[in-house]
Amino acid sequence: MNKRILRDCLPRLAVFAAAVLLWECFLTRSQNFLLPTFSHVATGLFQLIFLEPRFWEALYISNQALVLGYAASVLVGIPLGLVAARLPWMDRLLNPYFAVLLVMPVAPLIPIVIIALGLGLAARVFIVVSFALVFITINTRAGVRSIEPTLVEMAKSFGATETQIWRRIIVPGALPAIFAGLRIGLGRAITGMVMVELILVASGLGRLLLEFSGRMQSDMVFATVLAVIIEALVLLSAMQFVERRIAPWVPDTSLT
Amino acid sequence: MIRVKNLTKEFGGTDNGGGVLALSDISFEVRDNEFVTVIGPSGCGKTTLLRIIAGLIPYQHGEVSIDAHPVVGPGPERAVVFQSFALLPWTDVLGNVTFGLDVRGATKSDSQAKARDLIRLVGLEGFERRLPKELSGGMQQRVGLARALAVNPRILLMDEPFGALDEQTRRLLQEQLLQLWERERKTVVFITHSMEEAVMLGDRVMLMTPRPGQVKEMIAVPLKRPRPPDIEKSPAFVEIKEYLWENLRAMQTEQP
Repeated sequence: MNKRILRDCLPRLAVFAAAVLLWECFLTRSQNFLLPTFSHVATGLFQLIFLEPRFWEALYISNQALVLGYAASVLVGIPLGLVAARLPWMDRLLNPYFAVLLVMPVAPLIPIVIIALGLGLAARVFIVVSFALVFITINTRAGVRSIEPTLVEMAKSFGATETQIWRRIIVPGALPAIFAGLRIGLGRAITGMVMVELILVASGLGRLLLEFSGRMQSDMVFATVLAVIIEALVLLSAMQFVERRIAPWVPDTSLT
Repeated sequence: MIRVKNLTKEFGGTDNGGGVLALSDISFEVRDNEFVTVIGPSGCGKTTLLRIIAGLIPYQHGEVSIDAHPVVGPGPERAVVFQSFALLPWTDVLGNVTFGLDVRGATKSDSQAKARDLIRLVGLEGFERRLPKELSGGMQQRVGLARALAVNPRILLMDEPFGALDEQTRRLLQEQLLQLWERERKTVVFITHSMEEAVMLGDRVMLMTPRPGQVKEMIAVPLKRPRPPDIEKSPAFVEIKEYLWENLRAMQTEQP
């Protein structure tokens, strides 16, 4: 543990401190009114977390869409990826749609979704899903595809049934890629959550951000973005913790 | 007894032909408790033949039967050892060796006890909790062998099991396999591309020709059992090996 702190944390802290120092020096000299200094952002974050009840309310509202949308993406995305990888006809059927979803810019469609689903939670959940789902699905599919065919053959040679092959070979074999998909999907879901609130549905963190920028409180805008980043990092670490438990054989590919 | 009669296997064709002929009109028998090695140039379909006997791939014409029962899929009397080891990277040695037993519905305590016996038998005691990636190639194939033996098959189908190993490891495993075979006298079909290996292990050597795969000759190996490690120096061994080489060289030079 001590070794890890020395090797990873100290250099990181050093780089962070250097960046903050540079930021601070540059802005205090340039007299730019709109760009906040780091100390302002830090104070803003403190205010936001401890003195601003609307922040927690906004966080709660935004996270409703995030939690529901992400959960739906996981619950639909993983099985869809598994099925697409294992059944060739399903794959042929779904492939073009995956490709479309993968490259489609979702943001311009937000107004249409709002028209169709209204300004409520349903629309926000739908947008989060459309941001996250396809990444989870294609990663799952790629994970299943990457399993060595001899492993499936080996299982068959012992008389394994299709259920046993799924449970003992395919799911554990695809887990590393599934987790990679879950991480990317989480990042996308958070982007979707904030974007829909910014563009049309003024609620949650998006509404807070709009208010702050409307009042030219750039330090509070930065602080809110920072809060979102912190939340995302906490979620990613939690996911990494789960991954280590479930799939300890996987080489570490996470970012934290 | 394994009985193969007029077996023909075509890949990728339709009912009207047009595919690649992998095996053409193959007939041979392997008696109970007999060790038959199969050798031939690459592309002679020896692995395809083994996979058909294992029940892993279908065949078009001819008969393949075990004790007069036609082969329609994998069966409990057969177990396969793979060239690429086919170990599950996410589970330890014990988990890999118990795989076949678990799939066949053995209780956990039974399969673990049985697996521990076999791990001891192949000389991997103390490595039960290691993951495959922590083992050398030779040790990995010992795990593969233990996994196959754990289900107590009457017939062992070995697909170039030592082909991916270095020379010294291969020699050691050959000696170990001979010792094991002396004890249990299972029926073995052993695919190889090494002439020494074919003669050293087999009661008979089946020589195959390529494109399409056909049986050129069944050669009896009149070497006494148990075979000592220095058997390679005996005149009979050298003679059969030379004979195999003459034939194999002729096949290679015939190629365009």
